[in-house]
Amino acid sequence: MTRANPLILVVDDDPSIRQTLTRELSLAGYDAVSAADGLEGKALFEARQPDLVITDLAMPRADGHAVIAAVRRADATTPVVVLSVRGEEEDKVRALDLGADDYVTKPFSLRELLARVRTQLRRSGAGAAPEVLRFPGLEIDLARRAVTQDGREVRLTPTEFAILELLATHAGRPVTLRQIIAAVWKGAPATTTDTVRVHVGSLRRKLEPDPGNPRYIGTEPWVGYRFLAEPEGE
Amino acid sequence: MSLLDPIGRRGRLAPWTAIPLALALVTFLGRWAGANAPTIGSIYLVAVLGLAAWGGWAVGATASLAAMLCFNYFFLPPTGTLTIAEPANWVALISFLIASTFASRLVATARREAEEAQRRRREVEILYELSFALFAVSQRPGVLGEAAARTLRAIGADSGALLLGDTGAPGEIASAVGERIEPEETALSETRESRRLVERGGLVYVPLEVGGALHGVLVARGTVAPRTVLEPAGRLLGLVVERERLLAEAAHLEAVRESDTLKTSLLRAVSHDLRTPLTTMRLEIESLERHLADQPQARASLHGLSLEQERLARRIDNLLSLARLEAGVARPHPEPVPPSSLFRAARESLALILDGRPVEALVDPRCPDLWTDPSLTLESLVNLLENAARATPPDRPIEIAAGPLSTGPDTEGVWIEVRDRGPGLPAGVRRLLESPRDPRRTAGSGDSASGGLGLRIAQELVQSNGGALALLDRAGGGTIARLTLPVAPEPEEIES
Repeated sequence: MTRANPLILVVDDDPSIRQTLTRELSLAGYDAVSAADGLEGKALFEARQPDLVITDLAMPRADGHAVIAAVRRADATTPVVVLSVRGEEEDKVRALDLGADDYVTKPFSLRELLARVRTQLRRSGAGAAPEVLRFPGLEIDLARRAVTQDGREVRLTPTEFAILELLATHAGRPVTLRQIIAAVWKGAPATTTDTVRVHVGSLRRKLEPDPGNPRYIGTEPWVGYRFLAEPEGE
Repeated sequence: MSLLDPIGRRGRLAPWTAIPLALALVTFLGRWAGANAPTIGSIYLVAVLGLAAWGGWAVGATASLAAMLCFNYFFLPPTGTLTIAEPANWVALISFLIASTFASRLVATARREAEEAQRRRREVEILYELSFALFAVSQRPGVLGEAAARTLRAIGADSGALLLGDTGAPGEIASAVGERIEPEETALSETRESRRLVERGGLVYVPLEVGGALHGVLVARGTVAPRTVLEPAGRLLGLVVERERLLAEAAHLEAVRESDTLKTSLLRAVSHDLRTPLTTMRLEIESLERHLADQPQARASLHGLSLEQERLARRIDNLLSLARLEAGVARPHPEPVPPSSLFRAARESLALILDGRPVEALVDPRCPDLWTDPSLTLESLVNLLENAARATPPDRPIEIAAGPLSTGPDTEGVWIEVRDRGPGLPAGVRRLLESPRDPRRTAGSGDSASGGLGLRIAQELVQSNGGALALLDRAGGGTIARLTLPVAPEPEEIES
C-alpha cells in the first residue's frame, strides 16, 4: 500500500494514552488511528490495513493477545509493538511468542517508543536482507558464513553463527528464547533454554571486547536477547 | 454384636461324651444286623472319622482305640473276650487301628484348616465392613469421633479413646467411647516409638500408622480381637485421620488460592491505575519539552518535572513489587542474569538522572552469571545507583562493579558494588538497614529523606532473592553499597 505517511494503529483502553499517542505520532510525521479495545482494534486493522500496530495488552473485550493473533493471521509482516506493564512479564513473553515484534514498558518515553517504531518500519520496508550485515566494528558475511571484528576474523561454531545471524538480522528487536530454539535447533525437543544460554555465553566471550559494557548482545530479562548495535549505512 | 467368637470353644466336652454313645450304637446295630467282621470294621471307621472331624485329633485317637477294643470284644472270635484266635484277625485289628488313627489325624487337620480359613474370612469381613463404615463418613465435624467409635465397635471393644498425632499426652483425647479410660503414658510412648501394638493393664494400644507416618493411637478396652484384626483396623482408622487432615489442608489451600486471586487482580488494577496516568504524564512532559525547546527556563522546570515523574514511577514500581512479594502473589522468578545486562538496564532506567555523569561499569571477566530475579534485582540496583547519584557531586564518577566472591572455579556468590564519592553514610541509614524488619519503617520514617526508603526497599527485594545488602565506608571518602547474590548453576557444556 502506498501512502504519503505510514499509518499507525494505536489500541489502548485508556483515552488519555490514546489521545496523547495519536497526537504525538502525528507530530512525528505518521498518520494515526486509534481503537479503544481489541475488538475495535481488529476491525480497524482489517478496514485500514495500517503499516504498524501499537497495542496495550490488558483490555476489556478482546485483549492485546487477540489483536496480535488477528494481525498475524492476516499477514506476517505488519510490525506490532506492545505496551507492557512491569510485573506482568509472562504476558509480554506470550505476546512476543504470538508474533509481536517489540515492546515498551509503561511508563515509557515517547523517544523510546518512536525509536522502536522507526526500527520496525525500517525493517518491514526493507527488501531482501543484504548478504553482508555491517555494524560498528563488526561484519557478518551471511553467504560466506564469516564474521570479522575490527578487521580480524572471529571463528564461530555453526550454532554460534546461526544464533548471531538470527539476532543480527533482527538488530534492535528482541528475540525470545523460544524463537531462537525454533530457528537454530528447528525446535528440537531436547533443546532447553540452558543450551541456548551456553552458546550465547561463548558467542559473547568471542565477540564482546568489554564484558561490563556489551556492544552487541544484550540480555532481555525473561524474554531472551536483543542485538544492540545499529546497522551501518542506513 | 460379638464378631469374634473363637470357633470351637463352646461344648468342648461334647465330642468326648459322644465317643461311648457312637460306639455303643454301632455295636448294637452290628449285632442286630449280624454283620460280618469287614463290614462292621468299616462302620466303626466311619464313626471314628466323624468323631475326629468333630472333636479333633485327640478325640479321634481315643475313639480309634475304643473302637478297636469293641471290634475285638464283640465281633472277632472268640467274641466276649479280648483275645483273638486267628492270626489273620490280628492283622485286621491292627490295620483297623492304623487306618482309623491316620484318618482321624487327616480329618482333624482338615477341620482345623477349615476353621482357620473361616476365622480369616471373618476377619477380612470385619475389616471390609469397617472400611466401608469409616469411608462413608466424611468432612463433617465430629467425623473422627464417629470413625473411632465404629472402629471400637468393629473390634468388639466396650470402651476406648482416640489420641491424635504422634505427641499427644494421655490428657489430649480427641474422642472417647463408653466408660472413661485412662491411657498409660509409658504404654502410649512405647506404642508410638515401636509403632507396634501394645497390651498393658487391660487396655490395647493400637498405632494408627499409614505409610510410615503415625497419625495417632487408638486405645481400646475389652476387645478379644486378635492382632491380625487390630493392626489393620488401626491402619484403616489412620487412613481416615490422614484423609481428614488432607481435606482440611485442601480446603485451606483453596481459600488461600482464592484470596491470592483476589490480591492479584487488585494489585493488577492498582498497578494499571497508577501507571496509566504516569505514562500520560511522561508523554505530555516530553511533548512540552519539544514545544518549549527555545525557552531555557521552562525546559529546566520540565527537566525537574521529568526527574520527579521518574522517581514517582520508580517508587510505585518498588511498592508494587514489595506488595506482590508480601501478598505472596509473585515469588521471585530467578534466571541466569549477566551482571553487565543489569548494569546496562540500570543505566537506561536512570538515563535522566545520570545524564552526562560519568558511570564506570567494571565486570570481572571471571564473574559468572547471577541466579536471580532480574526485575527485582534491577530495582534494587537502580535504587542504589539513584542514591549514589544523589550523593555524588556531578563531576565525580560513580562506579558499578561485579565479581565472584571467591576466585576459585566454584564461587558461591557474586558481589555487585555501587561506589560513590558522597559524604559517606549517615548513621541513621546504616541503622535502618540493620534494624529488624518492620513494615512501618519501610513506609517511611525520619530516615527516608536521605534515601532510606529506596535503600530499605532495595534490601527487601534483594533478600527476597536470596541475596544481601551491606553498606561500607569507601576508602578515600564515600560509600560502597554491596549486594551479594547467588550464582547461576553452570549449564552443561554442549558442543554442536
